[in-house]
Amino acid sequence: MSTESKIADSVEDTIIIKDLNKWYGDFHVLKDINLTVKKGEKIVICGPSGSGKSTTIRCINRLEEFQRGSLIVNGVEMVEDVKNIEAIRREVGMVFQHFNLFPHLTILENLTLGPIWVQKKPKAEAEEIAMKYLERVKIPEQADKFPGQLSGGQQQRVAIARSLCMSPQIMLFDEPTSALDPEMIKEVLDVMVELADEGMTMLCVTHEMGFAKKVADRVIFMDAGEIVEQNTPEELFNNPQTDRLQLFLSQILDH
Amino acid sequence: MANTFKSDPIEFKPAVAQPAPDSTVGIVAWMRVNLFSSIPNAMFTIFIMLGLANFIPGIIDWMFISSTWSGVNQDACVGDGACWVFVKAWSQQFFYGSYATDQIWRVNLSLILLFVVIVLSFTLPASYRLKVSVPLFLVLPFVCIAILDGRLLGLEHVNTDFWGGFSLNVLMAAAAIIVAFPFSFLWALGRRSDMPLARSISVVFIEFFRGVPVLALFFMGSVMLPLFFAEGTNVDKLVRVWIVLIFFMSGYMAEVFRGGFQAIPSGQYEAADSIGLGYWQKTLLIILPQVIKVSMPNILATFVMLFKNTVFLLIIGIPEVLQTLLTALSNSNWLGGHAIEGYVFVGVIFWVCCFGMSMLASNIEKKLDTSHRN
Repeated sequence: MSTESKIADSVEDTIIIKDLNKWYGDFHVLKDINLTVKKGEKIVICGPSGSGKSTTIRCINRLEEFQRGSLIVNGVEMVEDVKNIEAIRREVGMVFQHFNLFPHLTILENLTLGPIWVQKKPKAEAEEIAMKYLERVKIPEQADKFPGQLSGGQQQRVAIARSLCMSPQIMLFDEPTSALDPEMIKEVLDVMVELADEGMTMLCVTHEMGFAKKVADRVIFMDAGEIVEQNTPEELFNNPQTDRLQLFLSQILDH
Repeated sequence: MANTFKSDPIEFKPAVAQPAPDSTVGIVAWMRVNLFSSIPNAMFTIFIMLGLANFIPGIIDWMFISSTWSGVNQDACVGDGACWVFVKAWSQQFFYGSYATDQIWRVNLSLILLFVVIVLSFTLPASYRLKVSVPLFLVLPFVCIAILDGRLLGLEHVNTDFWGGFSLNVLMAAAAIIVAFPFSFLWALGRRSDMPLARSISVVFIEFFRGVPVLALFFMGSVMLPLFFAEGTNVDKLVRVWIVLIFFMSGYMAEVFRGGFQAIPSGQYEAADSIGLGYWQKTLLIILPQVIKVSMPNILATFVMLFKNTVFLLIIGIPEVLQTLLTALSNSNWLGGHAIEGYVFVGVIFWVCCFGMSMLASNIEKKLDTSHRN
């Protein structure tokens, strides 16, 4: 297959996932996942642990391989080709549950690493971009510190800024607030809401239902490796169609 | 929700911290907990103390009180205790082998350079520590060889036959571990690789050099290695031994590095991938610096082992410090039975160096525990 072969599809659709199947050994983790994401759309994925929600978004930038089905990101098909994988990773930013900042580098170095080494930008320009995004996540004064000197909430905001420095088209969030102390969740969610308001295409795996109601265009509920239901947040939370979603909602909302 | 709170809340003041109660600190409390916590424990403590009281005065008497310190030759050794005159008279050979006396500054210069580079690698600011110290370390062995050999620098040529003594142990060990460093890193990467060929070659190499005793390796180096060189080339004996030490060391260090790799959370790889870094960028910029950091205590421990193993070089006739001692003991002018003094002396200098490195390692370990972790 030729590299970066554009596949004719609506330009509106930035991510097209068709019949995606994945196995860990014999274990069938993802079963026929079909999902199309439009440019600028904000999607929240929720579901019990082990339901395959993280695995699904990790397939999008190929942190996970899949065995069957197709995945197209910004017109580039994900195949076993380093060029295609790199092309897709340039378009997709990711934020992790445990931040995954590089502990041996300063905050500024964490942010400039990608622009300098991947995009081959001059150091001064990379630092300018980095400071711009640090200001956006409201911690420019921490630029010369090391990640270990920051609070969890600050680290996660740095991680978001690090992704944004690569000017991605799509942002993936893999439970960005699950590892945070309750007092720090809001500062991270605020940054995410701001990002959503600016029109970023976002896929968020999260259990923050307030956030989902506020920004999501669509909420997807997964269980046992399948998409069980998807709908607007109001419909999904107020009018669950399946018993599985009803059970899930009753467990996360009733206390 | 927020607007239902009271408008004038009570101010919360944290309580002042208080000192720990006396019964848990101080020397008496320490002894009670550590030496006399139970009857068998107390008996054991007393038994050990009695044993020490029995032996230590004799040792101190032999080493310091009845010992002879002044004199220049065998005739001075008339006391009952140790005759340190023997060690004093041979000290230059013990440290520098047969290196010409007026050229000894070159050995000292090499040792000083080694010391300076080591100190720099621990004290430079973190932001460019690796960038500066790694290249310095990598050129150091070759600079030292040039200084000691002399031909390249226009100094008087000193043949490797004359290199020797404790300085040779130190420099051989250092030169071996430094060159082994990049190799062992590659072996460790190979062993973790997804490519079956790279992985099996690495496993075979690592396990061979870990599995074969170092003495056997030295024999192979001095007898077998010449067979692999082109006919007519005469590779220096020290170089051959150096190659053996490098291989031996890189086998061990590859395993140290593998442990280091396993200590790096998978999230670091994923974050590097998600930014779009390539394999070598990811490995060199993100993973390697962290691996070196977490492996440092184990690298030092491995170095201590290698350093002690350099005395085995005597088996193939290299005049390192123990070989020099044996030569001194069989010298007809010193047939007074100075073996104990000699071995105590060699033991003490090795112990001081190794203990120093252990202290350094545990220091680093403590720092690792508290410093910026993710």
